Amino acid sequence: MSDAAHAHDDHGHHAHPTGMMRWLTTTNHKDIGSLYLFFALFMLFVAGSMALLIRAELFQPGLQLVHPDFFNQLTTMHGLIMIFGVIMPAFSGFANWQVPLMLGAPDMAFPRMNNWAFWLLPVAGFFLLVSFWLPGGAVAGGWTMYPPLFIQGGISYDLTILAVHIMGLSSIMGSINIITTILNMRAPGLTLMKMPLFVWTWLITAYLLIATMPVLAGAVTMLLTDRNFGTHFFNAAGGGDPVMFQHIFWFFAHPEVYILILPAFGIVSQVIPTFARKPLFGYASMVYATASIAVLSFIVWAHHMFTVGMPVTAQLFFMFSTMLIAVPTGVKVFNWVATMWKGSMTFETPMLFAIAFVCLFTIGGFSGLVLAIAPVDIQLHDTYYVVAHFHYVLVSGALFAIFAGIYYWLPKWTGYMYNETLGKWHFWLSVIGMNIVFFPMHFLGLAGMPRRIPDYALQFTEFNQIATVGAFIFGFSQLILLIVVMKAIKGGEKATAQVWEGAEGLEWTVPSPAPYHTFETAPVVK
Amino acid sequence: MEQLNANGGAQITAGAFSFHSRPCCSLTCTQERVTFWSLVLLCFGVAIGFTVQGYWLVLPFAGLEIGLLAWALESLRNRENNYEILTIDGDSVVLEWRIGKQSGRRELNRQWVHVQCDCSTPGRNCHLCVRSHGLETEVGHFLSDEARLKLAAVLKMQLQG
Repeated sequence: MSDAAHAHDDHGHHAHPTGMMRWLTTTNHKDIGSLYLFFALFMLFVAGSMALLIRAELFQPGLQLVHPDFFNQLTTMHGLIMIFGVIMPAFSGFANWQVPLMLGAPDMAFPRMNNWAFWLLPVAGFFLLVSFWLPGGAVAGGWTMYPPLFIQGGISYDLTILAVHIMGLSSIMGSINIITTILNMRAPGLTLMKMPLFVWTWLITAYLLIATMPVLAGAVTMLLTDRNFGTHFFNAAGGGDPVMFQHIFWFFAHPEVYILILPAFGIVSQVIPTFARKPLFGYASMVYATASIAVLSFIVWAHHMFTVGMPVTAQLFFMFSTMLIAVPTGVKVFNWVATMWKGSMTFETPMLFAIAFVCLFTIGGFSGLVLAIAPVDIQLHDTYYVVAHFHYVLVSGALFAIFAGIYYWLPKWTGYMYNETLGKWHFWLSVIGMNIVFFPMHFLGLAGMPRRIPDYALQFTEFNQIATVGAFIFGFSQLILLIVVMKAIKGGEKATAQVWEGAEGLEWTVPSPAPYHTFETAPVVK
Repeated sequence: MEQLNANGGAQITAGAFSFHSRPCCSLTCTQERVTFWSLVLLCFGVAIGFTVQGYWLVLPFAGLEIGLLAWALESLRNRENNYEILTIDGDSVVLEWRIGKQSGRRELNRQWVHVQCDCSTPGRNCHLCVRSHGLETEVGHFLSDEARLKLAAVLKMQLQG
């Protein structure tokens, strides 16, 4: 209630701008969610192309296609872009689209900050990509940015630090928005323990992001001052400690691994009950398991650096604490399987990706347990076994969950059903391709092939050739996803409000496509 | 109390009509404190740990981040205090409101008050206002269009009756 002379609370009251201005100035959570998802899809193809170039080079021993230094640039940028430019923005896209809908909220708590959080990302992406054309090329010391390599590089290293800062700022703004939205904008009656699991996983992820982002920002700033302002935080020549960078970095980066996988758990926990037509088994235990994983993620960082030298007691501590993570993760896998048990299951594309997630992520989890054993890790450190492990976690884990989420919610976003036949082609080619690429890498690693090397000994040839063939199958099959998405945007069979027979939750009570403004009147949850 | 939507409701007691409205806020004071202080403890605990080791540059970033979080929670707290109250009692119509940092009270003569609800501008929410003596006061800030139309009808009926 205000005088006419007073400024009106004008959020959402103006006519919508059209064209580019709509997307640049939008504060609507659905628009921003779409922007995040399209950005992630674009970057997936950019970083995926880098992966194909890497695999093409590794098809044969010897140097075929690229200069070794450029090869290192490719591996570094592939990692940085996939993590910060694909997986994280994709999950942010899901959060933007789904969290308000699942909570019965009209929008995010801070819509303008939401707009800023997204538009910082393309700027950071541009800085990362443009560094390929700078003198000395892009960063080449690995996505972990370890000194002394990172202190010695050219101008692109400074630009990468700036890009990391910008992406960090974007993440912090996004996280604060998500936490405040979840805590403050729930519909009346929607208590915390009634929230969909996807919302819970994002709440915990946002906590992790807020807890760890200052550590990353501080670490890269110290690299920057070491490079440009004569400090010696990590410069051994000046009395600094390069190993300490690894501690600081992994204190951020191990929780980051869970930032990349917890929202995936959330998506799968939405998809499986829908297609098993049963409520999620052990909802409360899923929430507690997610929180436990988050807490444990802060005390396991040094398992990434067993080889740098540390006391045996420290090795034992980090070894056992890492193994402990298998307990809550096992609870989750058990609950997903128990949800499917005796369910009235159907196997649409989202469910296929969710089942593949459960099976293949578990393989990634088991190879993680192998790597947690300090004496084994010392043998396998920096070999292709590690590459196989984290790709089973991040490709068949995070990426497959993203695919499952896209197929699951695409009808709600576009108003049209996707092409199920194409979806199944995408699934089978992805699953087969992914296993052909990454499973042989376990053998390569066990045989001692080091990672981040463009050339290799002759005995590794066959497995590398198989992996390269798989990479091209997997890479090109992603074009099917692009076609599916474009077709669903253009038209097709009309989707109902509920879309899936077994779907439950507030997001399925609004029409498909979800109207531009939803839940302006808060629903009451009983 | 007749519920116009989850954010507002009207009540008639002993001949007086009153309408109360406030935004939906599900964050309780306890939850806010737990959220804020758990993150403060976590962020500063980590930052101070690294500072003690000599890596002090984590600390200012933790401070900036917690500052942003504090601002966000403070904004929510301000929103929670927003309200609109419209009371029709005898010959007087009393409007009271607080939106952001602006708060106010206006007393009008019932005989001169009229209600207008304009939904004609495409892309804008309905503009519901109470007018008297050349002054216009917007009401129904926290309501959807549907609820504003409903409130307009209720107010017109009450003013006539």
